[in-house]
Amino acid sequence: MKLKKKEIKDPSKVMSFVKAEKPILALVAVSGTIFNAGMTAQPYFEGQLAQMLSDIIGGNKTASDMITLALIYVAVIVLVQAARFFKRLSVRIFANNVNRSMKRILFRTLTHKPVAEIAEESAGDVMTKAILDVDVCVEGIRKFTTEIFDTGVLLISYITTLVICDWKLALISLIFPPIAYILAAMMKVHVEKSAAAYKESAGMLNEATLDRVGNAITYRVFGQDENQNKLYENNLLDYEKKGIRSGLWETSLQPVYHIITLISVIFIIYFGAQNILSGEPNAWTIAEFTTFLSCFTKLAQKSSNTAKLFNAVQKMKVSWVRIKPLMKNIPHEEIPAPDAPRTLRVDDLSFVFSDGTELFNSVSFSAEPGEIIGVTGAVASGKSVFGRVFLCDNKYNGSIRFGDRELSELISERRQIVGYMGHDGELFQGTVGENILLGDEADANEFLKLVCMDSELTPDSAVGNGGTGLSGGQQQRLALARTLCHKRAVMVLDDPFSAVDKKTEREILDNIRKTASDSIIILISHRLSIFPELEQVLWIENGTITASTHDELMKSSEKYSELYMMQTAGGEEK
Amino acid sequence: MKAVLLKIISKNKLLVIGIVAVIIGAVVSEVIPPLVLEEIVNRLTDRENIAFQLIMTYFLLLAMSNAFNALKQILITIFGQKITHGMRSGMCAKLTRLPADYFVSNKPGAVVSRFVGDADTLESLFTKGIIGMAIDALKIIGILAVVFTKSAGLGILMTVSGVPLFFITKYFRKKMLGAQLKNRAAISKANSYIPEAIKNIRTIHAYAKEEFMEEKYDGCIKDSFDAINENNFLDSSYSPIIPLLSTVLIAVMMICSAMGGELRSFFGMSVGTAVAVISYVTKVFKPLEEIAMEIQSVQSAIAGVRRINEFFEEEEREIPMLEGFPEKLDSTDIKLEDVHFGYNEEHEVIKGTTFCVNSGEFATLTGRTGLGKSTIFKLILGLYKVKSGKILVGGQNAEMIPDEKKREIFGYVEQDFSLLLGTIREQVTMRDPNITDEQVKKALDIACLTETINSFENGLETKCTATQLSQGQLQLLSIARAVAKNPSILLLDEITANLDSSTEEQVMNALRAATENRTVVSISHRLYETSGSREIPLGSAFGDQGKSF
Repeated sequence: MKLKKKEIKDPSKVMSFVKAEKPILALVAVSGTIFNAGMTAQPYFEGQLAQMLSDIIGGNKTASDMITLALIYVAVIVLVQAARFFKRLSVRIFANNVNRSMKRILFRTLTHKPVAEIAEESAGDVMTKAILDVDVCVEGIRKFTTEIFDTGVLLISYITTLVICDWKLALISLIFPPIAYILAAMMKVHVEKSAAAYKESAGMLNEATLDRVGNAITYRVFGQDENQNKLYENNLLDYEKKGIRSGLWETSLQPVYHIITLISVIFIIYFGAQNILSGEPNAWTIAEFTTFLSCFTKLAQKSSNTAKLFNAVQKMKVSWVRIKPLMKNIPHEEIPAPDAPRTLRVDDLSFVFSDGTELFNSVSFSAEPGEIIGVTGAVASGKSVFGRVFLCDNKYNGSIRFGDRELSELISERRQIVGYMGHDGELFQGTVGENILLGDEADANEFLKLVCMDSELTPDSAVGNGGTGLSGGQQQRLALARTLCHKRAVMVLDDPFSAVDKKTEREILDNIRKTASDSIIILISHRLSIFPELEQVLWIENGTITASTHDELMKSSEKYSELYMMQTAGGEEK
Repeated sequence: MKAVLLKIISKNKLLVIGIVAVIIGAVVSEVIPPLVLEEIVNRLTDRENIAFQLIMTYFLLLAMSNAFNALKQILITIFGQKITHGMRSGMCAKLTRLPADYFVSNKPGAVVSRFVGDADTLESLFTKGIIGMAIDALKIIGILAVVFTKSAGLGILMTVSGVPLFFITKYFRKKMLGAQLKNRAAISKANSYIPEAIKNIRTIHAYAKEEFMEEKYDGCIKDSFDAINENNFLDSSYSPIIPLLSTVLIAVMMICSAMGGELRSFFGMSVGTAVAVISYVTKVFKPLEEIAMEIQSVQSAIAGVRRINEFFEEEEREIPMLEGFPEKLDSTDIKLEDVHFGYNEEHEVIKGTTFCVNSGEFATLTGRTGLGKSTIFKLILGLYKVKSGKILVGGQNAEMIPDEKKREIFGYVEQDFSLLLGTIREQVTMRDPNITDEQVKKALDIACLTETINSFENGLETKCTATQLSQGQLQLLSIARAVAKNPSILLLDEITANLDSSTEEQVMNALRAATENRTVVSISHRLYETSGSREIPLGSAFGDQGKSF
């Protein structure tokens, strides 16, 4: 599964993606040129074969000459088609490679985005659209590359053949195709306009359908069913009208261009016949006549494709503009080994929201390795916000020092100091084991034991999308197992026990004490039964944090003691 | 569904006839030009002069072939549009006949995809599938017929080689479809990593697992990459087959013709015939290839067609008729008599409820959640049939109130405002053409919204979005919608549940105006407390007793 990754020098330039594919592009160039130059072989041999037949009937040649010619013909076409195979395959492999490189870079940009930026609602949308844009963009690159050969080289070879046969006639017959192009360019506006109107109408129809179906009950209650159907009919009519108009513009012009191009045929046959019948020394044979006609017909057909080429390039440009800002090379970052345990010292800490407001006024405390600090407070008092301070996603005022270093200044080391288990388990689709290890080497079952889940789940159990295959309590404990597997000097656990019974909670806590005996654990919880045995307790009330111990708080805080008594008095709660 | 299709076809008979005519024209005009070319070449071989008319005939035939093809395309496009239009109209009419339950148990997105995606498949089944196949079959037959008359030998060669080619094509198509499906699965899996990475970004950052995630994502991209490459290989291998086969056929044909004697006469070759026939060889395989592709699109369209059929076969409700319903109700009292109801067979939600609300009275249903207070509203509104018992509104069976009368009788304020597509005016009228500007103005006055709306640049014509108005204002808009047609009964469902206390005051004021001179039933504690209405407690732990008449 490990992949060889191609280095893209400057992902903000399309060309650097193309350059990374030089070897395969060379194959495209060689096979593309051979194939397209060889395409003239078909009309050439058609002419030669017809001529040969004419000669045989006339008694000038024998059947064995025909056999030789036919065999050469087959051999040449086999060669040409082999080139076609390589051209087709290589250009697609090239596009596929570019597609993969681009998507890889996009995803890397995403995973390295700061949390604050990702939290904006549109992040997912932007990314999903960007992925689609990559597809469009690469398709454009592929078409462009293909058409350089299929149109460019091919047209040149056809035209060369025509000129060799009869340069005057070639000139005359090449007058008409450009007229068709110019006309096509002039009409393009209408084609695009009608297509855009059709697309818009389709959008409106979709909205109307969703409205009609989504609000069906509301409409029913107000007796609006029939009325709405009539209105929906208007949308359908509009869609039909625009669809037909767009189809008309799109299909009716094509034959017009073609017919204009075909005017040349009149000249070709007329002058061609004169050429043959002229009796001059350099007169045409049937071979030249047939070749010329067949070549021109193919050219006419091919040249009507050029418009498609321009469309693909246009689309490519538009989509590239959208993805370009996301195309960055993010250097590989060496992550240092986890830090040794040290003292954690928090002074005058308050949390700063992105709009500048502060929460918690100036709390100070310190903790030694091995200590567990309980954090609690009323619902929505900011417990989780407090836990996230240690991730430094937002700014904070005051200081958090690990040993003698300020946490906010330890950009990459920080991730080897602070472990975090969020309120939401943040599980990945895959197996239980994958979720615990996240690619590390260890025995996942051991960590399942620590959270008392080894009897319910195995490392191979499926987690389901976002953890949906597990119960809420299992999700939490799985997230806890993952946190323990990635042991850090400071570990923030946001409500790991809310869906676990008291006995298991006890057991797990003991396990945590044993395995993380030299870590500082910040345990956020609304269940207080284990709080008496914790070294410190932080009590959050009305935006202020009181750093204290359980015994102290029982005396000093009425709310805390009330909460504790309420939870313990009834025996087993929930 | 068949009925709808037949209706569409019988409505567009002329179009269908036109399509048939144009298809025949297209096939004939495609087959004939090489014959003229044959004549030209033969004359040239005999060193005869070519009449200008002959050249023009050739050109005109080519032009006609082009024109016919375009015309065919246009008519098919029109026909396709008629089919989707007719199908969607039919589906929309079906919506009216579906019971309310359908909309609860089916997600709107799923239903919409029947309208959008599946209706389109049906179109492509007809245009690309059936019509396309017919055209291609005709082309093959036409070409073979001409070739057989010109050169029986070549005709046999073509037919013989056509059969394996058809199966080879089908085989490649099938393989390619398999690879495409694999690719699609991999892509959708890869795409699901994006919302996952966004949701789990804290964990990813905290454990420095960016590159681990990238590996995982890349694994899926690799699956897609491999599937695409497989497809590419198949595609690249297939594309030379037809040109090679044509080449071999031409070579064999020419050699046989050159052999002289019996063989030549069997192949019937003059030089002109050779030139003409070469162009047929390249022409005959194209439609054959197309047919193999069309079979595929028919196969994949079948699933969509089946889904539409299922939609049409959904059970229907009984639609109350306007005929025989009194012009005006005698009274506006609401009577429930021993009503039993459940959304499904097993579970009964309403277990024998009986109560009455008199004309002009303000009553409030109370009781804990899950007792079916909102359900009772839905029954009064005639959305569902009761299992047993009776619900009478002004003496009429609630289920039998016709749509045309609904808004005159009921004003229903939903718990959450249903934002409709359109402007603020359309939120109130629901695009009901019978509601006058005067009525809209009055409704907004009652809902205390006139001032707010006047402050918008486009006033009533402002396009309404969820973020433009506050929760409270949306609820006011809901009241305006309910009272627009001056209904005699007002049903209020927990309308203050989601409001903060400042907007609640506003809503209460609006309600005071709205409830005047009406029979009002509400669900809400707060309303009951503030407006001094009569309480109808629903049920207790021991079952419903529905006291208080």
